[in-house]
Amino acid sequence: MPVPTPTPAEDDIAARLRSRPRRFEAFIRWTLFLAAALSIFTTIGIVYELGRESLNFFTRQLWEDTNKQLAAAVGPTDTVLPVTRSGAALHPDDTIRVEEEVMRVLAVEPTALTVARGQQGTPATAHAAGLDIYRGTRVSLVEFFTGTQWAPQIGKFGMLPLLNATLIVTAIAMIVALPLGLGIAIYLSEYASDRARRLLKPTLEILAGVPTVVYGYFALTLVTPLLRAIFGKDVVEVYNMASAGIVIGILVIPLVSSMSEDALSAVPQSLRHAAYALGATKLETALQVVVPAAFSGIAAAFIVAISRAIGETMIVALAAGAGPNFTFNPFEAAETITGHIVRISSGDLSYDSIDYNSIFALGLVLFFMTLTLNIISQRVVRKFRQVYD
Amino acid sequence: MIRRLWWLVVPLLALLLSGCCQDIAAPQTDGYRLLHTPVGATAPPTGPSVAAPQVPNLLPPVNPADYTGDIIVAGSSTVYPLAERMAERFQEEGFRGQITIDSIGSGAGFERFCVSGETDISNASRPIKDSEREACRAIGREPVEFRVGTDGLAVVVARDNDFVDNLTLDELARVFSSARTWADIRPEWPAEPIQRYIPGTDSGTFDFFVEVVFDKNEEPILTADNLQMSEDDNVLVQGIEGSPYAIGFFGYAYYEENADKLRPVAIEGVLPNAATVEAGQYPLARPLLIYSAPSIMQRKPQVAAFINFFLTHVNEEIVDVGYFPASAEALKQSMHNWLRAMGMEP
Repeated sequence: MPVPTPTPAEDDIAARLRSRPRRFEAFIRWTLFLAAALSIFTTIGIVYELGRESLNFFTRQLWEDTNKQLAAAVGPTDTVLPVTRSGAALHPDDTIRVEEEVMRVLAVEPTALTVARGQQGTPATAHAAGLDIYRGTRVSLVEFFTGTQWAPQIGKFGMLPLLNATLIVTAIAMIVALPLGLGIAIYLSEYASDRARRLLKPTLEILAGVPTVVYGYFALTLVTPLLRAIFGKDVVEVYNMASAGIVIGILVIPLVSSMSEDALSAVPQSLRHAAYALGATKLETALQVVVPAAFSGIAAAFIVAISRAIGETMIVALAAGAGPNFTFNPFEAAETITGHIVRISSGDLSYDSIDYNSIFALGLVLFFMTLTLNIISQRVVRKFRQVYD
Repeated sequence: MIRRLWWLVVPLLALLLSGCCQDIAAPQTDGYRLLHTPVGATAPPTGPSVAAPQVPNLLPPVNPADYTGDIIVAGSSTVYPLAERMAERFQEEGFRGQITIDSIGSGAGFERFCVSGETDISNASRPIKDSEREACRAIGREPVEFRVGTDGLAVVVARDNDFVDNLTLDELARVFSSARTWADIRPEWPAEPIQRYIPGTDSGTFDFFVEVVFDKNEEPILTADNLQMSEDDNVLVQGIEGSPYAIGFFGYAYYEENADKLRPVAIEGVLPNAATVEAGQYPLARPLLIYSAPSIMQRKPQVAAFINFFLTHVNEEIVDVGYFPASAEALKQSMHNWLRAMGMEP
């Protein structure tokens, strides 16, 4: 059959449709893509910045002021340095620096140091009296992850006290938030009447909207006195991990309940009806049929809640304590990673000081913790996901 | 029926809960106090009151209403209540500009003054270090020191603590370093762990304490157990109030503001008060200082006017704030420093 030639009317339509501009569509597509890509760029930027400063922290030699000075001038070849009695205690094998010259301490006496001059490729020069002596420390990864003392001023960089406090506060928060959040979600999706739902959901939203600094003062002025009244003033300190943990739990309840409720609502009614048809009670249906069916969504909710609790800063800064403390007693004061970062950085750090570099390393640890949790969450969701038609 | 009761039950519950914890909350901590409240006029505690020394005024009179612009001050939390009082008065008497004062610790204050050059005046409870002076010079500021008062660093315990009255300097060193329980210091004291509340490492108070008690060695105090550090002295006050086994130290004004809940400890048998600080008997007496630079004072006349006003009227306010007046010679020296910085010294 020969191809039918288009009529003039068809020609018109074809022409109009063909000449419709598509450039605008392409522009919109690229703009929206860039908006989404912004999140990728931000993540790359964060990782780059944290990584670079942390690399600095672990590879560079950090110099701390020992508060000791040279008691008298020394020449380029003197191996015994007279020093002031005051200041930090030095030990053999310490690395010290006077002006630009690096030296290694061989022997220590109250007012004199025997040193090996001109170390690390620096030239041995004469030095005047009264110059400050700096001690060099290098932080090793092993010390960072296994040391039990965190005191940057004196060269102690073991992050276990901070990590331990973070984990204990998170654990307490989860003990509060997970049962309560899941309970609220089950109630809202299985039991609640319309009226109850209309009251509870806005209330939960209010709870979610309270600023964290207000929660922090809530912990300090209400929860801590309550704990002290229950357990005794001797047992519970004024700043303690328990009240911070409890309040973080309260903060996170709306998150857990709303995500869990979404997961529970997504379970088709047919499953519930089948259970009722078999004679199950409402509780049995909820706990033995619906919750296992919605498990992947609930697990995702739990993991988001844990990430939120780990990263919480304001509440722990106000209520948990202001000094690193390696303890398993939740009623003691102990500083978490986030609380420490905020305390140190709010005191005007000088760029390139020991404290400044250390907070980046801590930030990187936090980042990796939440990244790991995200990956676990994705794996869990994929593994337990149930698709219903 | 039950549904109607919702509207009754929830408000009732809220009322009940708020009522229950009120008594527990109120005497323990006052949320308002956690903010920087200006130090109120509390009566000074025991000890003969010494009238502020009469200092001849060497400075040209200054009318605050003639000046405007901003004055940026930052530094010691110890000097903070005094600086804030003088700033309030400066503004009450007509200053039309803005004065901002941040309480971040002497070290952090010098950081802002000498390294980033953000502030006009640096408050300090310790003298400037050589390295800080060098840093200032590197950015074109020659720091000038003005002594404005004296502080008797108060070592305090809670009122509930009934066993500690006096500590020797040696015992004080052990309390803040190696001792684990109070019984380690004196066997008749309770065997309870010592809870320590100290200013952070950015604080001039910390530097001063380490210098006097530990001969500038920071290690023993920073490795002590149960250590809580904060540059904000109000946080320390809260912590010490909470337990009879807690101990800490900060500027005298913060003790005086909370004299109903805290008790000072005598050091070497001497309690801090006007007489002992003036006579130099109290071992932990230290100067209160403010620093500025001639370049700033000449470029920003409101800064020079404020410092002038400060030096002229500080002795009228300092006892009320809770500190002790500097000696007449020290104030005269500060006034000479001002005149020299303004190029008015004959």
